[in-house]
Parts: sequence; structure tokens; C-alpha cells
Amino acid sequence: MRRLYSSLVDGRGFDLCLIGIPLAFLIVLSGVPLIYNVVMSFQAVDMFSLGSFIRPWVGFENYRQLIAQPEFWPIMGHTATFLAASIAGQFLLGFALALFFWTNFPGASWLRGLFLVSWVMPGLVVGAVWNWLLSGDFGVFNFVLRELHIISDNVFWRSDPAFALWSVIIANIWLGASFNMILLSVGLSSIPDDLYEAAELDGAGALTRFWTITLPMMRSTIGALISLGLIFTLQQFDLFAAITAGGPNNSSNVAQYWAWDLSFKQYDFANGAAISVIMIVVVMLASVYYVRSTRHEVRG
Amino acid sequence: MTTQIEFSGVNKHYGAYHALKDINLSIDKGSFVALVGPSGCGKSTLLRSLAGLEKITGGDISIAGEVVTTLPPRKRDVAMVFQSYALYPHMTVEENLTYSLRVHGVSKGERKKAAAEVAATTGLSDLLHRYPRELSGGQRQRVAMSRAIIRNPKAFLFDEPLSNLDAALRVHMRKEIRALHDRLGATSVYVTHDQIEAMTMADHVVVLRAGIIEQQGRPLDLYDKPANKFVAGFIGSPAMNFLPATVAEGRAATIDLGKGPIRLTIPVAAPIGSSVLIGIRPEHITLTAPGEGRFDAPVAFTESTGSTTFVSTATNPELMVVETGRRMVANGDLVGLAFADTAVHVFDGATEKRL
Amino acid sequence: MSETFRNRLLLVIALLLAAIYLFPLYWMYITALKTGSEMFATPPSFWPDDPQWSIFPFVFQLKGMGRFLWNSVVIASGSVALIAVLGTGAAYVLARYRNAWVDVGLFLVLMLQVLPASLMITPIFVLFTLTGILDFPRTAVILAIAAKSMPFFIVLVRATFMSVPMELEEAALVDGNSRIGAFWSIVLPLARNGILVSAILIFMQAFGEFVYSKSLIQEIELQPSSVGLNAFMGPNTNEWNRIMAFASIYVTPILATFVLLQRRIVSGLTSGALK
Repeated sequence: MRRLYSSLVDGRGFDLCLIGIPLAFLIVLSGVPLIYNVVMSFQAVDMFSLGSFIRPWVGFENYRQLIAQPEFWPIMGHTATFLAASIAGQFLLGFALALFFWTNFPGASWLRGLFLVSWVMPGLVVGAVWNWLLSGDFGVFNFVLRELHIISDNVFWRSDPAFALWSVIIANIWLGASFNMILLSVGLSSIPDDLYEAAELDGAGALTRFWTITLPMMRSTIGALISLGLIFTLQQFDLFAAITAGGPNNSSNVAQYWAWDLSFKQYDFANGAAISVIMIVVVMLASVYYVRSTRHEVRG
Repeated sequence: MTTQIEFSGVNKHYGAYHALKDINLSIDKGSFVALVGPSGCGKSTLLRSLAGLEKITGGDISIAGEVVTTLPPRKRDVAMVFQSYALYPHMTVEENLTYSLRVHGVSKGERKKAAAEVAATTGLSDLLHRYPRELSGGQRQRVAMSRAIIRNPKAFLFDEPLSNLDAALRVHMRKEIRALHDRLGATSVYVTHDQIEAMTMADHVVVLRAGIIEQQGRPLDLYDKPANKFVAGFIGSPAMNFLPATVAEGRAATIDLGKGPIRLTIPVAAPIGSSVLIGIRPEHITLTAPGEGRFDAPVAFTESTGSTTFVSTATNPELMVVETGRRMVANGDLVGLAFADTAVHVFDGATEKRL
Repeated sequence: MSETFRNRLLLVIALLLAAIYLFPLYWMYITALKTGSEMFATPPSFWPDDPQWSIFPFVFQLKGMGRFLWNSVVIASGSVALIAVLGTGAAYVLARYRNAWVDVGLFLVLMLQVLPASLMITPIFVLFTLTGILDFPRTAVILAIAAKSMPFFIVLVRATFMSVPMELEEAALVDGNSRIGAFWSIVLPLARNGILVSAILIFMQAFGEFVYSKSLIQEIELQPSSVGLNAFMGPNTNEWNRIMAFASIYVTPILATFVLLQRRIVSGLTSGALK
């Protein structure tokens, strides 16, 4: 008893206690559900067996059913489009803004920080605002595009199957570009000035300096950011709920929304679990890459 | 003299790395001991083990007769001055000084009194209500020292406390720390990589290398009778000259500086034909006219600081000579080198131990 | 071109960029203030002719927003309290040591950080049903959010602890304090700002949380504002001024907090996310 007390106060016990409780908490509330999800994806689950642990084992039947559904491949395709377009859009817009604010004038850092409101706002509010902005007949977005003569007729962003997914992508780019910009700004400002001075003395022009110094020096930041973008984009749910709800006719449905829709709208928990398992594997792979790039950053 | 601190058979492993190898060391009450050695030699690890900040993996440490090996730092009653000073940035100077008293439950009035007393002796009275960030480097150093003094601990531990100060202040603080030690009659253990600090401040110098005590003793004994080539080269600046030599008949050895063998008398007997190292300190060699010294050598390079001239010879190996005053020799001049027989140290060629 | 002229020009461009980027926010507030007919005018008006300030108390009453906001606050505060109490200790241990075990722990934490809520909700719902936690829906949401956001908090706060020099803690130990004492009186006060900023970020996230609340809370009286807003937006609604008023009331406290603490939040975020 004395030894336990003294270890808690002076020794290893203190550390073990501090790390042990949160780790146990996380294992119970994240680790167990994660494993249970995998188990469930191999079971037959319906409304009646929801309340019991023991359910019939069906092997890969849920996965087979899932892939056999006509909407499976279109939804996977939408997910890929959503990921690629969102990440590319967020990154390019964020990089452009970061480069502009890098010129460093009085007030730059404060104004730059202000952009981040798009990221701290509740996703559902962002969705609601963009839902209204993208409204077909009365949306101000269509009005601006008409005034700029980019379109001649109103685009029905949310209800036209060809555009529904893009309306969510636009909102998502707006939401995430500022976060990209802030992290890229940090990366840019950590490049030492004397590198540029040396390159200038060596006769490198502005564009050459960008290609030969800025981009290579930013490599690990960019790697970390793209994988973070992948992770955040796969987590994006609120915008779908607020803008299109996956419609019309699944034309804007993506895997992470579908998983929820299967479980909570169609009460098909087994298939919901199966699609979740597939997507979680994807996220895990992305995060391994993220962890590796941030490691690289630390050890320089 | 009673023993205040005792290391017996202390070992420290970090995984496969053996940082302290069987250290035995006893420190007398009231003495000032310097642990000195190149970086990575284990001197800081030894000090931190004494403080309880590192757990040793073998052996025992005792302070004032009590075995403290398994005790946490707070039960060892030692004070420590860190290299970075480790002043608590969110506390004023006064709060920094009295932190340990507060931890030990001393009342507020007592604490204020104690802080005022210590501050008066260390010249911090006007700074008691400042924060560490508002102090200069020297003042921070003083606060760190005062924080140790206020407790009247069983031992003072110093971990390279002067390495963040500029050269002039460092020389000044050397004297101040030593004077403080004498006034308090304390037991101090001082870690440094600077052999001059160790030589000038300590009563007893312990030279460490690769986790082993190479030699310990009074500073001038280490200078006069280094136990091996490492200590000989480490103590004294500029470093001792080493010349490979072969033992010849009649207490002599021959060295070869590239221009044929030169015969030198050595103060010890050694098997004829064995190879040895001859060591001569630069300050024990004087320059003479060619032909008037032990042998002649051409000058490769001279540097003068005004009070002292450093001369390197164009020989293999190169010899360094320190002359007091200005010596007008030009590169390429031939000079004679003279030294007394007693200035010659001889080390075994294989074990590098003193013969 | 002189330095000041260059700076002014850049500032004007920057303000313009910010205005364009933040236009959706402006449009939210402006729409809320418009009358029903002005809202659907073509071309749209960019400044309300007759600002309807009364819409805010009206929507607040109509939709019972007091209850929604209160639930949001309860859920966010509960999550932050749980996360801060548990996460701070974990972050400290992960910052203090550098060995294989810490690497494993850090890797686990980062992995848990990336699990999407909408994918985790299925097993969580089933498990909460089985264990009966679902009978306390707000507690269930708090637990789920805590598990989801704690890794992020740990990553951010760990960066703060890394910036507190180890020697300070060691000095406190030698000065006679225990590990717990040194943690309380030296390490925590020095990391206070970072912990606060991270807690605020987590609060903002939890305040806007939707997936868990939507899936785990059936009773309207217990739902937070995000679920309320979602229910307000039917598929073919034309009450946009009211919806935007709801959104404005919901989001303004968050925006105000963010603008006030912007500098600290941004620096806290950037030190944690990449390092």
C-alpha cells in the first residue's frame, strides 16, 4: 500500500495513471465499437436482433449484398469524385491565398486568421447557408454567375443530378480552404529567408525560386496536409445532411452518408456496418501516411 | 573529514548503452568536487543520479550516511543549479527563491524573511518582485544560486551553471561561487566540461571518460602527475604535446620528428625497445637559438595574444610551444627547443598509462 | 513604388479577398433581415430596404431556440470537461517521454482521431442500446463526442507540453516537490494557455456537432441546435429568412469567440496539427 502510494506520487505510477485512464476510455468508446463494427458486418442484424449480442453469423454475405446493390458502384464513384475535387479545390485555393498573404503587409496575419471562421463554424450552418446561396431560382450564386456571363440559365444545383454532388463540393471547398491556407502559411514562413537570398545571388528568378526552393521545402507540409484533407473530407457528413441529403436519387450520395443512411433511415445495420468497415480501412491507410509525413517534419 | 556523499559500484544503463560503469567515489563533507570530462562522458548522468532525477541500474548512493538509492528527489535534501537555470517563469524572483520552503510548509512570513536575507547576500534585494524574463543572464544565474542557498541542503549540485554566460562574467562567477561555498561550508558537486573551471574552483577533480573515472585527485596533482594520456591531454591548455618514442639504453628514448632519431633522457625505467609516448607540456618548452636546445625545429606558425606567443613547429608530429611575452620568430626560422628532464612525462605506448 | 503604397495596395486586395471569401456569412445575416418578398427579389438586393430586426426574437420563440441552445451548451460543456480532465494527463505523458511505448500510444491516438463519426455511429448506437446508455441520450452524445475529439485535444495539448522545459519540473522535484505537486504547480500553470485554447476549439466543435446528436437523441426537448436547424430545413422550404435567422443566432456566439481569441486559436492549432 505504501509502495503503491509512493509510486503514484513520485514514480512511474503517476505517469501510468495519467495515460492509463484516458487510454482505457478511448479503448472502450472507440476501440470496442471499431471491433464490434467488424463483427457486426459479418452478422445478420435486424430490428429484432438489435438488442442481443449473439446473432447469426453470415460470413461475407453482407458485403456481397452491399456490392450487389445497384447504387454501390455509383456511390463509390461519387465518393472518389468528392474526395479528389474537394482536396484539390481546398488545397489550390488555400495555397493561392497563403502565397498572397505571404507577402507580409501590416495586418496580414490578423486578416489571414479571419478566414478560419469558415472552418470553426458548425458544418450544419455552413450547409444551410450554402443551401440558400445555391438555390436554383433565387440563389445569389446563380445571380453572380449570370452577371459574369458564365451561365445564361439558372443552374439547379441541388436538384439537378448532374450538379448535386458539386454543390456539396463547392461548400466543402469553402469550408476547408481556410484551414489549408493557415497550415500552408506556417510551412511557408518556416522556410529560412537566407535560402531565397542565396538562390537570388545564384541568379534564380521568382518562378525558379518557387519551383526549386518553395515546393521542395514544403513537401512534408503538403504531404501532411493532403492526407489531413483526405481524413477531413471522408469525415464530412453535415454538408450532405444540410444540402442534398444524398439526393436526388443518390446522385450526390457518398459512402460516409450512405453508411448512416443504411443504418438509421433503412435500419439495415449490417450493411451499414459493412460499408463502414470498408471506409474505415481507407481512412486508416490515409492516416498512416499522415503520421509518417508529420514524423518526417519533426525529425527534419 | 567525514564522508558526505558516497557512490559505490554505481552503474547506469540506457537500454544497451552503458552510461556509468561501476563508479566508486566518496566526497568529503565541506569539499568542492568538480566532475569534468568531454561531452557524453557521464558526468551529468552521475550528478542527476545523485539528485534522484535518474534511476541508477546498479550500486548504491548515500548522502550523509543515509542510502538514498531508491528515494525520490524530494527526500534527498540536495539543491541543484541547472545549466538553463530552470527559473519558474510564472513566479517572481521571491516566489522562485521560496518555492522549496513553500513546498515544505514554511509560513509566508518566514518565507519572506528568508528570501530577504538571501537576497541581501547575493545582491538581489531590488529584484525580488521581478519575473525571470525581466532579468539579465547574470541576474538569472544569481537567482538560481540563491534558490539553492536558501534551503541549507546537504549538498549543492551544479550542472554546468556558467556555460550560458559570456567569458568575462564566467570568470567573475567562478570566484563568486567558490567564495559562497567557503562561506556556507557546504558540500558542492560541480559538473563542467571546462577543465579550467574544474582546476580553478575545485578541491578535488574527478576526470570521467565514457562512464569511467579516469583519475581523481587534487587539481595540481592531476596536472603534475596525470595517470594516463587522456588526463594528460585533457588537463592543461593548450594540450600536452605527445611524441611516439622507442626506449633505448640508459634511461633514454629516441624520438623521430622526421629528420633522424633524437635521443632524450626519460625519468623512468622501461624495457629496452618498447614503444612509449613522451609527453611535454607546451608551457614547459622554451625557445633558444638553434643548436642551444635539446634539438632544433623549423617554425610553422606563430600566434600572439600580446601577453603570450604560441609557436607551432613544422615537424611530424607538430609541437606546440607557449612563450610568455612576445617572441619575434618568423615562419620557417630554425629554433632550438629546451626543456627540463622533469618536464618529460612517459606513457606506455599500448595502454597509454603513465610509467 | 514606395513601401507604404505597396503595403496599402496589398491591404486593400486582402480586404477584398476576405470580403469575397466571407460573403456567405454576410449573406446569412442579410437574408435574415429581409422581408419575405425582398428575399426572393430578382436581382437580389445586397442591403435590406427594411431590416426586420424582430425576426430574431420571433424565430427564437417560434422554434424554442432557448432549449436547443441550452442542450448544445450542456453537450459541449460536458464533452469539454471530460476531454480536458482525461486528455491533459495523456498529453503530458506523451510529451514527457520519448520511447517506443510513447510512439505506439501516439500512433493509436492519431488513428482514433481519424475515424469518421458517421461511420462509427452504427456500432456506437448498437452498443449504447445494448448497455442501456441510450436511456440517457445527452450523456451518450457526450461520451461519443469525448471519444471522437479527445485524440485531437491530446495532439494539440501535447505540443504545448513539449514547449515546457523538462528542467523546470526537475527543479521542482529537487526543490522538494512530488511528481503530482510539480505537475500542478509548475507544468500545468505553464501550459494553461495552450490547454485553454485547445479546450475552446473542442467546445466550438462540440457546439456544432450533428451526427451523434441526430442519431442518438430522439426526444426533441433534448436535441441541440444543429439537429433543430436540420429539422427546420425541410426539402422544399421557402422560409429562408427564418432559417438564416436561426443560423445567425446559433453561430454568432462562436464567431464572436473566435474573432476575439483568433490569434491564440490559430497559433494553438498550427503548433499541434503539424508537429
